[in-house]
Amino acid sequence: MENNNIAIEFKNVTKVYKLYKDDKQRFRAVFNKRIKPILKYAINDVSFTIEKGESVALFGRNGAGKSTMLKMITGVTYPASGEITVNGRVSALLELTAGFDQEFTGRENIYFRGQLQGINDDEIRGLEDEIVEFADLGDYMDQPVRTYSSGMKARLGFAINANIKPEILIVDEALSVGDMEFRKKCNTKINEIVGSNVTFLFVTHSTETAKSFCKRGIVMRQGKMVFDGAIDDAAEFYNNMVMADMEAKRKLKAERAKQKVLK
Amino acid sequence: MNTLLEILRDHRDYRKQIIKLAKSDMVKTYKGAALGWAWAIIKPAITIFVFWFAFSIGLRHGQPVDGYPFFLWLIAGMIPWFYMRDMLQGGSGSLRRYSYLVTKIKFPVDTIPTFVSLSYFFVHLGLLLIMICIYTAFGFPPNIYYLQLPLFLFMMFMFFTAWGLFSSLLSAVSKDFMNMVKAVTQALFWLSGILYDADRIQVGWIRETLLFNPITLIANGYRNCFVYHRWFWETPGQMRNFIIVYVVMLALAVWAYKKLRRDIPDVL
Repeated sequence: MENNNIAIEFKNVTKVYKLYKDDKQRFRAVFNKRIKPILKYAINDVSFTIEKGESVALFGRNGAGKSTMLKMITGVTYPASGEITVNGRVSALLELTAGFDQEFTGRENIYFRGQLQGINDDEIRGLEDEIVEFADLGDYMDQPVRTYSSGMKARLGFAINANIKPEILIVDEALSVGDMEFRKKCNTKINEIVGSNVTFLFVTHSTETAKSFCKRGIVMRQGKMVFDGAIDDAAEFYNNMVMADMEAKRKLKAERAKQKVLK
Repeated sequence: MNTLLEILRDHRDYRKQIIKLAKSDMVKTYKGAALGWAWAIIKPAITIFVFWFAFSIGLRHGQPVDGYPFFLWLIAGMIPWFYMRDMLQGGSGSLRRYSYLVTKIKFPVDTIPTFVSLSYFFVHLGLLLIMICIYTAFGFPPNIYYLQLPLFLFMMFMFFTAWGLFSSLLSAVSKDFMNMVKAVTQALFWLSGILYDADRIQVGWIRETLLFNPITLIANGYRNCFVYHRWFWETPGQMRNFIIVYVVMLALAVWAYKKLRRDIPDVL
């Protein structure tokens, strides 16, 4: 059953956050098995397969577990149970301003990040010019990152992540990078990457944008996968879901108001 | 066992980044201050001066040891203590300080205490060199016993790096632990054979207990090179003690890593 066409595979993945009453309890739990945390299921028994070259949109309201999923794909956090397979170099545009060493210069951070991604120095040297040009930081390129504005950090982050020739690209739309011109540049770059044979995972609330990039959509709701299918259907499903949620909330509010009046 | 192999593998695979981060960590500590690197020397110099003043001038307790002025005897224990103190405190805070490597990018968490330790170690090498110069200036040039210095350097580095891994994991889970370490550090200074020779304590069981304290063992090792002119095989009991405490420390570090590695990104 080995399929080497798979880019990302989740097999019954569950992620549990352990909540303790306070840090003291958490510390004692390290030594004492009897202290039990409250378990919060961020991801509950999710399975799916994304093949190489596919472009998939990931929908979900806040707290649906999207970020946790992305973090697990990038390998920052681990699932509590289940199996995650990721084949290929992952480049994640999640929190662009994070993950820099503040004291390294922009250029040093390029090399540092590259090394972390398993790219050797020669290869990075080949990509360096492109990254420098894309980030467009001028003289700041050789200044420590701590002197950067948040916009500059984001630009550098995007330039690195988009240009290190990823095999799997993850973009969180929640990021708003720089001004109009730079955002346009980013979109062009993303389009260019998606056009090549790169697996693309796009997290968004905007179903319209997703339709223009992706062919498939996955909808998450409270840690569970509730829909997986063609992008148009997924978009419709998600929109309906949001509408239904809002409707339910409105009703609940009205109900409460009524009860208050009755009292 | 597998966890230990995994830790070693991470260190091999990321050796370049470890060196790079160690250098930047060191630069970070001193850059930005007008006196910069001088602080690496000024701070320990003041501490040594205070103790020398208190003991030689104030308490008049500083008799020469084995023909060496008390001051020289003192710094042979103080210089390694500075590294050990930095590791006790900075080592246990290393994961919190470098949380961006844990929660933002994929990076082997077990190598973070290592590069922090390495950074302090570089500073220590500088201080050691200065100490050798001071000894020479006082008319005690390097002798054949200095040959075993690399051994004690290695022992110290290995022990406190393991400590760094263990304590930084626990500190990441609990701030209480970190505060406790900070509070205990000062006590450890007085409870270890740095200002006095633990070998000469009269009460037998206290002496034997102190000789299981790695801080005492390292300080003794340094003094064996600089003052007592003893080879490490002449104190087999202390070497045995060190190996025992090191194995325990390493086991604790591996245990903590195995247990907490997966939780750390979620709590930091």
